[in-house]
Amino acid sequence: MSQPQPVTETLDGRPLHGDELLVVDGLKKYFPITRGIIFQKQIAAVQAVDGVTFTVNEGETLGVVGESGCGKSTMARCVMKLLEPTGGRILFRGRDITRLSRAGMRPYRREMMMIFQDPYASLNPRKRVGFIVAEALELHKLGTSAEIKRRVQELLEVVGLNPEHYNRFPHEFSGGQRQRIGIARALAVNPKLIVCDEPVSALDVSVQAQVLNLLKDLQRDFNLTFIFIAHDLNVVRYISDRVLVMYLGQIVEAGDRNNLYDQPQHPYTGALLSAVPVADPEVGRARQRIVLEGDVPSPINPPSACRFHPRCPRFVKGHCDVVPPELVLRANAAPDHLTRCHYPLERWPLTVEEMRRHDGAPAAAATEG
Amino acid sequence: MPLLEVKDLKTYFATGDGVVKAVDGVSFSVEKGQTLGIVGESGSGKSVTCLTIMGLNPKQRTTSTGQALFNGEDLLKASPSRLREIRGNDIAMVFQDPMTSLNPVHTIGAQLVEAVLLHRDVSKAQARRRALELLKQVGIPRAERRLDDYPHQFSGGMRQRVMIAMALINDPDLLIADEPTTALDVTTQAQILALIEKLQSDYDSAVIMITHDLGVIAEIADDVIVMYAAEVVEKAPFDRIFKHPHHPYTWGLMGSLPRLDADLERLIQIPGQPPSLLRPPPGCRFHPRCAYVMEICRSKEPRLLPVPDEPTHLQACHLDEETKEREAARLLQTFATGAA
Amino acid sequence: MIRYIIRRCIWAVALFIVVTMIGFVLFYLIPADPAKFACGKACTQVQVDKVAHYLGTDRPLYIQYLKFLGRLMPVSFSGGPHLKSPDLGHSFVNRQPVTSIVGAAAPVTASLVFGGMVIWMLIALPVGILSALRPRSLLDRTSMTGVLIGISAHPVWLGLIASYLIGYKLGWTPIAGYANFFHPLFAQPGGPVQWAYHLLLPWMTFAILFAAVYVRMIRANVMETMNEDYVRTARAKGAPETRVMRSHILRNALLPVVTMLGMDVGLALGGAVFTETVYSLPGLGAQTIQSLNNYDSPTVLGILVFATTAIIVMNLVVDLLYAWIDPRIRLS
Repeated sequence: MSQPQPVTETLDGRPLHGDELLVVDGLKKYFPITRGIIFQKQIAAVQAVDGVTFTVNEGETLGVVGESGCGKSTMARCVMKLLEPTGGRILFRGRDITRLSRAGMRPYRREMMMIFQDPYASLNPRKRVGFIVAEALELHKLGTSAEIKRRVQELLEVVGLNPEHYNRFPHEFSGGQRQRIGIARALAVNPKLIVCDEPVSALDVSVQAQVLNLLKDLQRDFNLTFIFIAHDLNVVRYISDRVLVMYLGQIVEAGDRNNLYDQPQHPYTGALLSAVPVADPEVGRARQRIVLEGDVPSPINPPSACRFHPRCPRFVKGHCDVVPPELVLRANAAPDHLTRCHYPLERWPLTVEEMRRHDGAPAAAATEG
Repeated sequence: MPLLEVKDLKTYFATGDGVVKAVDGVSFSVEKGQTLGIVGESGSGKSVTCLTIMGLNPKQRTTSTGQALFNGEDLLKASPSRLREIRGNDIAMVFQDPMTSLNPVHTIGAQLVEAVLLHRDVSKAQARRRALELLKQVGIPRAERRLDDYPHQFSGGMRQRVMIAMALINDPDLLIADEPTTALDVTTQAQILALIEKLQSDYDSAVIMITHDLGVIAEIADDVIVMYAAEVVEKAPFDRIFKHPHHPYTWGLMGSLPRLDADLERLIQIPGQPPSLLRPPPGCRFHPRCAYVMEICRSKEPRLLPVPDEPTHLQACHLDEETKEREAARLLQTFATGAA
Repeated sequence: MIRYIIRRCIWAVALFIVVTMIGFVLFYLIPADPAKFACGKACTQVQVDKVAHYLGTDRPLYIQYLKFLGRLMPVSFSGGPHLKSPDLGHSFVNRQPVTSIVGAAAPVTASLVFGGMVIWMLIALPVGILSALRPRSLLDRTSMTGVLIGISAHPVWLGLIASYLIGYKLGWTPIAGYANFFHPLFAQPGGPVQWAYHLLLPWMTFAILFAAVYVRMIRANVMETMNEDYVRTARAKGAPETRVMRSHILRNALLPVVTMLGMDVGLALGGAVFTETVYSLPGLGAQTIQSLNNYDSPTVLGILVFATTAIIVMNLVVDLLYAWIDPRIRLS
């Protein structure tokens, strides 16, 4: 079986420097909607992920935020090859793994693991914890049974569980402990990349802090790379180095954590940030919430051009609903801070009034380079 | 006289393993037009407290003692029929999960009309007009057409608006909101919080907001109760809680919260798990997880006492006042220096 | 909604064709030659061949099946399209039309099944609901014990005991036999009263197993629904318990019961063999056994067609009923 050849540039011709761990390149995932009395024909598609491009470097944490239905979980499942992408490419260590068969994926499976939201639903209730953690080791035949047992106990200790509990069942553990089991399982085969899909959103605040700290420690100790998907902007700020904001299947803003949180450019990011309650009444009560109207539209029939335009306080008729904005670097933005908006925010924070009012001239994009 | 005064409320559930003390001696009061925030983690007893006040706990194997005086009338001693008169009319409740809190086989309109007809002697048409009025108030677009829709035709945020409309339809004096925004997205959460605040000021009703999110508390509460293991560990006006927190558990909650407004190096975590309510630890229930534990904490249960010179700020901890002020200041300092 | 109905109907037809085809193939795989049976032991091979030709069993299987389907259609195209009554062929044994054999047996089974259904629902609904309301109470424990007994007791055993004790010893009911509802044969009891009187014991016997199953199912569903958030919402509105039960719990808890009921009634219409045998009721079950013993494939096939139709129709009715009760299906 031939190994995939290294890829040197993205689909739209940007060069890759070769040491990215993961490149997601123009990724699309459409779910067909069929209809028919006997024969099902496709009448539409849910555009769950529609042209998402980003890179992840070794040892960093990329946070992905967005509200339900923005496509962040579908994107993660495509990256893990749990779903077959409709279009685009996924490059892992420079190799195109998008169309690899099950067998072709096997060497890569060990290097990419996933942690799920619901720690209980993702653990088989009839299997002992030792078996759950050891499963991947045995699947990849990594050691004798004595070695595997030793490794499992070591892993349990690493994630802060009692190694003697490897004979217990998942229901004997609390929610936070179960999430630790899920982390131990993911760590078992020494992966490079761990995709975390809402790993702490089912946990209480104090347990959430324990798990977040654990993830940070593990990253430092084992040089792990994380894609961290969450709807909680507080959590994403804490854990991430870089952050992507997704809306209706597209990235609307991407950048370094501090730049993105302190100087958001996309009105949607601004609205998200202003909507998060702050645990400081002086900050929280003084600041103006930018309350968006309505709900997220359906990804079956997304709004034309800029998908955010029906809810956007800066909407300009005849422009935003006609010309789709590109994800580009603005003239005065920090490097790597990309925005998909014709009328990005000039500064932050803005009042509700300032949010609506802008100079009317579309912002200039920085020249490439 | 406060609108609602809860005194030494206890709710015990008999289970196969023993008695679960889900609420163990909780006291607080709510004034008209005020918002009381109850914050705590799951199993702290915050929801059961409110279900007890509403008389909504399962009747079998449940014992509730203490008093819940609503306009001077003890709800714990009220007859079932009297409680039904009060529920949905004087006290209304909004629950956490809007996806499951509406009956899937009845239209939104029918469920709203039911709420009116249970308490008002009006015609169906009048009740329907009232339902429409409320749907408009809570911001449901094209409300006339949506009255005859079923819950599954609404999004989560819209369903929570319907729940709020249903709760407010009889102008209750007290609205109990049990984690009303936890299941919702951030932008929807902002809409719902803004709505509750607006409706509260329009109707001058009192609100009890149950939440695990200190952020929500910081934004809308007047008074705050911190609950841990079925007990109140701290109770204070909101600015005191956030500027002079006095209980190590409150510090732990604040420290373990990732923050939007600060670039934290590391979260301060509370070690261990919340205790079992079947066999809570002796002495202070927080002592096995407390970084400041002293000998006295293991044997003597601290009482909920006022902070010197701050009669409205109550706390239950054996630490001396000086240490508390110092540690609280140190904690707040880490947020300030962590802030970008 | 219309789309949903059309799809259901098309599926029903497809299902019907598949089931009858399988039945057809199975019965013609039986090694015994029906012509030999029809002709008698003394026939020569030539005579047997003639009989086979007369019966049509010398033709290829698919032709036989198509002819069978053609006879079954309510329309005929020979000599211009016109309506006709469906024909299931003739019995190999006595040359009677199968339709009239089925037509005579079906009302007996239908009387037994629908009457039994009324009885088992009359028992299961109140007992199930009351047990759910007071779990682990005396009533609940008693009914759960009853359920265990009801599920374990075989209808033949139960039937024999009942007809001996109630029919023979006490003499309260007839021991066996059937009384026609409308047109009694000469010198036989008939009319609604006699009909019900004769069916009393069979109904009870038939209903006990189902009553047990349904008590357990209704109890479980009601208990589950009682814990739903929307039931708590209804209480929080101040709704009285009776209203909560009627309007919020039962409507949701009984949805799956409706499905089960349709399937069970459809299945039982194919022949409640044991009960019919014990009480000598001339229903479909008894007729099936008799015809099987005689290798009378047209009659067995006719009963199969009837049973299949009954099951499919009942399922269709359930699907439509379900859509009518549950807006999530109706409006999706």
